[in-house]
Amino acid sequence: MAMLEITGIDIFRGETQVLWDISLTVEKGERVAILGSNGAGKSTLLAAIIGMLKPTAGSILFHGLPITGSRPFENTRRGLALVPEGRRVYKEMSVIENLKMGAYPKRGRSRMAETMEEVVSLFPILGERREQLAGTLSGGEQQMLAIGRALMSRPELLLVDELSLGLAPVITKEIFRVLMQLGQEVTILMVEQNVEQALKYSQRAYVLESGRVVREGDSRVLGEDQGIRRAYLGM
Amino acid sequence: MFLLALTNGLVIGIIYALAALGVSLVVGIMNVVNFAHGEFYILAGYFSYHFANTLGMNYLAAMMLSVGLVLIFGMIIEVLLIRKTYGDDLYSLILTFILSIVLQNTYLLVFGPYPNKPPNWVKGATNVFGQFYYGNQRLAACGAGLVVIAIVYLMLKKTWFGRMLRATSQDREVAELNGVNTTALNMLSFGLGCALAAAAGVILSPIFPVTPTGGMAVALTAFVVVVLGGMGSFWGCVVGGLIIGLVENFGAAFISSGYRHVFGFIILIFVLLVRPAGLFGNREI
Repeated sequence: MAMLEITGIDIFRGETQVLWDISLTVEKGERVAILGSNGAGKSTLLAAIIGMLKPTAGSILFHGLPITGSRPFENTRRGLALVPEGRRVYKEMSVIENLKMGAYPKRGRSRMAETMEEVVSLFPILGERREQLAGTLSGGEQQMLAIGRALMSRPELLLVDELSLGLAPVITKEIFRVLMQLGQEVTILMVEQNVEQALKYSQRAYVLESGRVVREGDSRVLGEDQGIRRAYLGM
Repeated sequence: MFLLALTNGLVIGIIYALAALGVSLVVGIMNVVNFAHGEFYILAGYFSYHFANTLGMNYLAAMMLSVGLVLIFGMIIEVLLIRKTYGDDLYSLILTFILSIVLQNTYLLVFGPYPNKPPNWVKGATNVFGQFYYGNQRLAACGAGLVVIAIVYLMLKKTWFGRMLRATSQDREVAELNGVNTTALNMLSFGLGCALAAAAGVILSPIFPVTPTGGMAVALTAFVVVVLGGMGSFWGCVVGGLIIGLVENFGAAFISSGYRHVFGFIILIFVLLVRPAGLFGNREI
C-alpha cells in the first residue's frame, strides 16, 4: 500500500478551478518532486493534501485511510507536516519556541528533547541562535527553522513548498543536502520551481501544467527529456 | 497630593490593565472586538454579590465561582454567536454590540436598577508613606489585580496553552499546521477574555458597585488601553493601563476631576499621532 495515494482530485480556489483530476502516489521512503511553472497549481496541491483546501471530487488516502477533507491540525497529528511557502516562522517567538511549537502534536511532544537535538545537529546554526527571535534570522536560517519546526512533530510524510524561493543557490543546495540526510523514516514530497535541483534531489517527479499532471516518471529520465529541458531548464 | 494621585493612579491602572488584557487577547487571537466586554465584567459583579450576600458564600469562593461561570458563559457565546461570523469582522462587531444592549436590559430586569456591592474583603485603611490614609480594600484590589496579571503572564510564557495562543495570534494558518485545533482555541480564548473581564469585575465591584449599564465605561476604558498599548500586546496592556490610570488621576488631582476621562483620551490621541499601531504594537493598521 502506498503511503500517500491521491485519486482524481479537483480543487477550486473560490470560483476558479485550479486542479483537474490529479492522481499521484508516494511510497514510504521516497523523495518525490512536483514540478511546474508559476501558477501550475503545485502549492495548491500541497495545500489540498494537508487539508487547507477541500477537494470537490476524488480522494486522498494516507496509509490507506481517507483523509480527504480533514483539517490541517488533524493531518499533522496523523503524521503529515507541511513546510509552508515563504517559511512563515513565528517572527516574534524565539528559535527554540518555534521548534517547541512544531512539537505540539502528541507524536512530537513525547519525544521533544530528543528531536530537538536531532534538528539542531542537522542545522547547527539553529542551536547557536536558539534564544534569538525568529524574525531576526536570515532567509536561509528561517527556511532551516521552518523545516526544523515541521520535523519536530516527527512526521512520516514531509511536504515541502518552494524551499528555494528567495534563497541564494548555495544556501538552497545546503538545505537540500540536509534534507537528503533524513533517511528512510521521513518521506518527502516537494514542490519546486527550481527544476534542476528538484530533479537532482528526487527519485520520481510529476510535472503539472495548468492544473493537470502532464508527465510523471523517474527523475533522471525526466531530466534527460528534451521537452522538459526546453520548457523548464531553458536548454 | 502628589503621592495620593500616584497611588490612586497605580491602583486604578492595574485594574485597567486587567480589564484590557481580556479585550486584547480576543482581538489578538480572533480579530474580534468584543463590545460586550464590560457586560461580562458587570455580570461577574452581580454573581459575586448574590453568591456572597444572598446565598451567604465566602467572598473568595463567590468570586472564583463567578469568574468560572462567566468563562463558561463566554464560551457558549462564542459557539452560538461569534463562531458563525469568522471572516467578517464587521458582523462580530455588530453582534457583540447587540449582545451588550441585550445584556444591559436583562440585568435591569433581573437585578434591578440599584447598585449592588459585594462585601469588602478587608476593613480599615493604611497610612501610606506617612502622608495619608488609603483604603485597605483598594490596596487589596491592587494586589489581587497584580496576582491575576502575573498568572496570565506565566500562562502565556510558560505553558503549552500560552504558546499556542501566541503562535495563533501571529499566524493562525501555521498554528493549525502545527496541530493546533484553532476552532477549539477560539472558544477557549473568547471564554478566557470574558473571564479576565470577570476577574476585573469581582475585584473592583466591592469598590465601585455594579449597575446594569456600568459596563460601558469599563469597556470604553479597556478599548482605550488596548489601542494605546497596541493590539494584542501583553506589555501594551500593562503599560497602557498604568499610563491611563496615572494620567487620569494626576489630571483629576491637579487640573480638574470633572475632566478625569478626557485626559486619557488626549494622551491616546497624541500617542496615535506618533505611533498609529500603539506603544507596543507592530501590526499594520
